[in-house]
Amino acid sequence: MLPNNEVRVPRPRVGQPAVPRDITAEFTEAASKLNTGQLVKDEAFTLFEAVGALEIMDSKMDSGYIAPGENMEQALEDDYDVRQPLAPEEIVGLMDQLLCHEVAWHKGHPLSQTLFTSIYLDRLLWPVPRTIEDARFDRVPSDWPMISLVLRAYCLALVKACDLVHARVATEYYYEEEDFVSHLYNRNLLSAFDLSHFHRLLDQATAWVAEQTDIDQNLKEAIRCRLAFRHQFLSALDQDLEVLETRSTKDFESCLSELGPLTQSISLGKPVPEAFSLKIQRKLASTVPPRPMVHLSSDDALAHLKRLCQDAIDMQQMLDYTGPNNFKTAVWTLLSRKPQPSIYIRCLLQALIVCNFNILGTVPVKDFLYGELAELVLPASVLLEANIDEVEVPSDPRFQIAQKMDGFVKRFSQPFVDTVRCACLNRCRLRRTLCHTILDWDNLQMEAEELDLELRVLSAEPPMHLTGGEPTWSFPLSSWAYHQKLVHFRLFIQMGFELSIYSPEELPGMYWYLSHIASTHLGHIDRIRTFTVAARKRDLMTPDPRAGKAAQKASAFHRSFHTLERLTTHIIGVDAFAIALHALYVVLARHRILPTASSPQAYSTDRLRYEIRMKPFIPITLPELVPYDDYQREAALEGDSDATVLERASKAIAEARKAWEGTLANGAFIEDPSGPSSVTPKAIQEDWNRDAKDIMRACIGTSLAIEMVKKGLAAADGKALDLEVTVPEVGTKARWHDWWVVPQVSEKKKA
Amino acid sequence: MSPRYVRYDNARENEYVAAMRQLISKDLSEPYSIYVYRYFLYQWGDLCFLAMDDKDEMIGVVVSKLEPHRDGPLRGYIAMLAVREEYRGQGIATKLVRMAIDAMIERDADEVWKEIWLEIEMGMTEADNEQIVLETEITNKGAMKLYERLGFIRSKQLHRYYLNGNSAYRLVLYLKEGVGAVRTALDPYGQLSLPGPEACAGHSHAGMGSLM
Repeated sequence: MLPNNEVRVPRPRVGQPAVPRDITAEFTEAASKLNTGQLVKDEAFTLFEAVGALEIMDSKMDSGYIAPGENMEQALEDDYDVRQPLAPEEIVGLMDQLLCHEVAWHKGHPLSQTLFTSIYLDRLLWPVPRTIEDARFDRVPSDWPMISLVLRAYCLALVKACDLVHARVATEYYYEEEDFVSHLYNRNLLSAFDLSHFHRLLDQATAWVAEQTDIDQNLKEAIRCRLAFRHQFLSALDQDLEVLETRSTKDFESCLSELGPLTQSISLGKPVPEAFSLKIQRKLASTVPPRPMVHLSSDDALAHLKRLCQDAIDMQQMLDYTGPNNFKTAVWTLLSRKPQPSIYIRCLLQALIVCNFNILGTVPVKDFLYGELAELVLPASVLLEANIDEVEVPSDPRFQIAQKMDGFVKRFSQPFVDTVRCACLNRCRLRRTLCHTILDWDNLQMEAEELDLELRVLSAEPPMHLTGGEPTWSFPLSSWAYHQKLVHFRLFIQMGFELSIYSPEELPGMYWYLSHIASTHLGHIDRIRTFTVAARKRDLMTPDPRAGKAAQKASAFHRSFHTLERLTTHIIGVDAFAIALHALYVVLARHRILPTASSPQAYSTDRLRYEIRMKPFIPITLPELVPYDDYQREAALEGDSDATVLERASKAIAEARKAWEGTLANGAFIEDPSGPSSVTPKAIQEDWNRDAKDIMRACIGTSLAIEMVKKGLAAADGKALDLEVTVPEVGTKARWHDWWVVPQVSEKKKA
Repeated sequence: MSPRYVRYDNARENEYVAAMRQLISKDLSEPYSIYVYRYFLYQWGDLCFLAMDDKDEMIGVVVSKLEPHRDGPLRGYIAMLAVREEYRGQGIATKLVRMAIDAMIERDADEVWKEIWLEIEMGMTEADNEQIVLETEITNKGAMKLYERLGFIRSKQLHRYYLNGNSAYRLVLYLKEGVGAVRTALDPYGQLSLPGPEACAGHSHAGMGSLM
């Protein structure tokens, strides 16, 4: 896909250097032979070009169009005097209008439809000021300090805040025009000027306002808190990555506390609509048609800003690294907040996740990777310790292991870190990226398998004889890769529920599929555990003579078993819940009380719909694609009576509740008493707990729905069920959790 | 009185296209240029159908295209659909879409695509891979229902694009079995749910920026 900013720009055509000649006559002659509407195009002409074309002299498409009778000067310039005095309430109103435009830009609208509709900002930024003194509304400053000092300081600080946001977002991975529009239209957001200028001007303005005796006290306070907010917001944004050192939440907290009185005094302001104009768009370098001004309400703008500040404050709680599991949980939980954290926060977090080649600026990526491997598949393993030993004899297996593992780290670090970073994408992109991740890890698993085979020889791993007696080995690296893939497979399916991708008639099948992936995952974790138990047994039989080693190993194994146990409880929760909903939906579908999106006259069939759903997984080797006929049989629970299916649902939901209670009791984070002491990220933990509790509520809702259906079946006595079913949409109260679609079953209302 | 349905005829461009543009532009904040109409009509005029009232005035239109996707499946695409306000709710839009899909089936189409924007009157454009996709919807909850009743399912949600700040769904309908498994040229899994080698501002490669 092309970057969005290139979409409307025709591709440059490379060819012979042209020798100019007059072709008017030839052209006219050739054109006269064409019929109206006949399309003459070369092979490379695409819909891109067709859509990119603008009809000149059409006022809706041509931003330079001047209507007949319109005066050129009037069409381009506004008759607005930027030096004129404004009443204090107009200053407040103007500041708030600008703030709404600023937030609209944060939310992804272009500057040309937001801040750059302000005549004041236009004058401030064009021509590009060379010194901070140059950055003013007019060559001759206004005689009114309210304009030349107060409003100017506010505007300058606002532009500088945009500069800091722009700088952070534009250096990170984001989607142009989806998340953010980075276009500056050849303007410069005062990036050359140091923060101290802005702080100084704000201080001067604040002092001047405080001295005035003829301004209403409430208005004085309203202006004061607006200037103070700009001051703090600049400091907060300026902190940027330095937050890793400063660990200070002070500035964002001050912003929040200024936003309180600011919100209170919104009603005091009097908007100045004539200070904003769409005519400025005509001067901005851009190839797009004229577009309307974006109007964001101050309620929405302030809510957005408050969330931004709060997210920034809470984000700091996760800057202490306490192991791979905790780190991943914190990132995922914070970014799953609803509404999703703003693009600025998502970009800042992206930059913090890997800063200076280190996780959170402190932990080498290799340690992160090894920490995860030790926790899941390789506790106290020679594979992870080989390069610590500093063996330099090339013939020594440990030397060769170290070399192989170095290669592994080089290959796997980036994709592994990306599995964490991808949570910073917008939710739609996240879902699609997860699919990409699954495919990547399918290949990575195969590569890891090759390595496992070589490492097995070097480490002289003894085989195990599982059922059937065939020797098998642990394949730790590929096991871990498969685990990664299954995690993302599950997330991909669950994100489909969150984004309302599936139609009601697909719900039985999708929950069946989710349980299929979850039970595959459980089987895989069992396999890993079996090999870890065997490794522990071997370890105990050959005690390590080095001092303290035995205790170290015991603790490593303990940690690993604990992690596997937590993981198992969690996935049982997913699996059992999915089984319960699958069974419940099967009964609803059988009795035709589950709403459907498609009509009996639809062009497609269940088989064709299944094909579309499974298409992304066709190239995946493991887990194998389930053929439609198998899926159909299993997902429909063919051969099982309604009573059997509902009993299955009841049992499964009871198991799910138990598992989620267990998961909630285990908590969001693994506490490690031996690890470095750090503050528990309380705010993130609360989010996590709330999420787990919502899932438990959804479990209870499911139990009730199952009971309703059982009762309904008993009452119907073989006749049509007297029940009604609605599928609650995301965001409604009855949808306890985005990932768990619990049908609402009720008695049919008597007509 | 039920409308009369006719297939678009290039010989009558002058008369048809003006009416069509009026019908479609009504709900668009940013109109399509004449070149967009010609792009579709000149190449796939036989996949465009019109509904006329008893005075022979245009009250509904569907514009679509059909071409192989990267040498892979023959993909139909519903580009624009509009019905005059006072005629809505009578099944005219469904009939028009059915006529377009039937014409695609006659021409051996494998699948049909459509994108629906939420919450807005008419959608705009989105860029995906090398194709641009046009959006025209009347009321989108209704439009979504229309396509889903015909058997389309949602394959992905598209985050806010371009002008309106709203999200959209891509809808897909397979007309034949095995379409999913058809290999396409450049990118074997490019068309569904996958970012593929997508570009991002300032980044030209598929990964999330370099780390090591």
